[in-house]
Amino acid sequence: MTHTSKRILMNKIIMTLSTLSAIIGMGFLFWILGVLVINGVDALSWNIFSQEGAPPGYENSGLKHALIGQLFLIGIATLVGVPLGILAGTYLSEYGQKSALAETIRDISDIMMSAPSIVIGAFVYAIIVAPMGHFSGWAGSIALTIIMLPIILRTTDDMLNLVPSTLREAAFALGAPKYKVIIQVVYRGAKAGILTGVLLGVARVAGETAPLLFTSFNDNFLNTNMNEPMASLTVTMYNYATSPYEDWQKLGWAAAFILSMFILALNVLGRLFLLKKKGK
Amino acid sequence: MATIIDVTEDKALEVKDFEFTYAGNEKPSVNKLTMPIAKNSITALIGPSGCGKTTLLRCFNRIHDLYPNNKYSGEILFKGRNILQPKEDLIHLRTQIGMIFQKPTAFPMSIFDNVAYGLRLQGMKNKTELQDRVEKALKDAAIWREVHERLKADANGLSGGQQQRLCIARAIAVEPEVLLFDEPTSALDPISTSGIEELVVELKERVSIIIVTHNMQQAARVSDYTGFMYLGDMIELGRTEDIFVTPSEKLTEEYITGKFG
Repeated sequence: MTHTSKRILMNKIIMTLSTLSAIIGMGFLFWILGVLVINGVDALSWNIFSQEGAPPGYENSGLKHALIGQLFLIGIATLVGVPLGILAGTYLSEYGQKSALAETIRDISDIMMSAPSIVIGAFVYAIIVAPMGHFSGWAGSIALTIIMLPIILRTTDDMLNLVPSTLREAAFALGAPKYKVIIQVVYRGAKAGILTGVLLGVARVAGETAPLLFTSFNDNFLNTNMNEPMASLTVTMYNYATSPYEDWQKLGWAAAFILSMFILALNVLGRLFLLKKKGK
Repeated sequence: MATIIDVTEDKALEVKDFEFTYAGNEKPSVNKLTMPIAKNSITALIGPSGCGKTTLLRCFNRIHDLYPNNKYSGEILFKGRNILQPKEDLIHLRTQIGMIFQKPTAFPMSIFDNVAYGLRLQGMKNKTELQDRVEKALKDAAIWREVHERLKADANGLSGGQQQRLCIARAIAVEPEVLLFDEPTSALDPISTSGIEELVVELKERVSIIIVTHNMQQAARVSDYTGFMYLGDMIELGRTEDIFVTPSEKLTEEYITGKFG
């Protein structure tokens, strides 16, 4: 066998193996999505959106309580986590830069990003749920905020770093004070990237179950009081899917489908923003 | 030995026993420098890479202060005051001494907002006044005809040469007294380059100009005075025709005849 033909053969083997692996990976993904869509669409009905939870066997049962609870939990977490994350990322990129404090914050948030979310749930349980004596929506939102924070903080830091320093210098050279340089020039330059980070951060916490089990727990009925336990799509899905009742299992599929579509939409939106930025 | 002539015009800036040292360095990047910058003239700074010409340019608006622990010593006199004093108001200084960078630095906003940026920083809010000043600056920067129909368009959609002229318009809109050009044409094609050069020559009626350039022909074409720097020293400063035809220093002659650099 000549050197060239050996090389060509090797090339074919590697290509076949990697293509096969990609197909297997994609296969599972589409399998999951397929099962989800088939069962989810089948379970969808207007009742899902208009009715609250009900004991098994009742016809008029839905997910209204979980949908609204989910919106509350994510909404509050976003309202707190996004400004906090963007400001902290701004500190890292524009003020702390390479200082010891900034580098420490970067390291810690990298670790927090890979921390198991159930640990965050247990932490919030210990500092909020246990002293308060009961589960609450607030505790759930706080857990989600803690998970969201490092994601937004690091993307903001990275995206601001991508803004060329000459752009900052040009603004300073016109006599701009630092806060105006950051707000008017640097943020504008990094707008698409920061927005993507926010969307991905929200998408990430939207799919969390473990930290909510310990904090907001669950409620089978509609509740908008953040001081009380609150339903979420994820925990509801967990409870209904593991129940022995067929109509509850159906509701679980619907919850899984709605949640997946929501997260998919956020991800697609995030990628669109990045594409638009690159296209410029 | 260095040969530094005095200028016949009034002085826009006067550098005295000036040294600049980057953070963490022992050795200064600009050594014991004394030189005048003539008013309403163009002074070109030439020299091989690393000679300190851009470093010196960036001292005049103290843009080095954006990065911690850089050190100045000596004096740079501007309108009778030493701008190196700690109490110097840098925001005010930078409205009087503007800067154009090597790569065009159009902000991610509309063409109009780019030019209005410096004016708005100074608190100008009146719409018609802003419009007048933006139009005047764009006309002075010879780009009005190309952009007047799309002032609301994103400035990043302009070509490199247009962006650079936009940056010049942005800098002159606030009516500075001195303009610093840091290799303004090194990222541009020949046609855009000659456009910028013509513009720089026109501007000297109103502002004093210092231009750093790698291109000796450019220095010869546009400048009234040329300073040749080498390893942080100003080797020779003289009238441009003297520097290029009858330099006093052997090192200058070797550099402009291409023996090194």
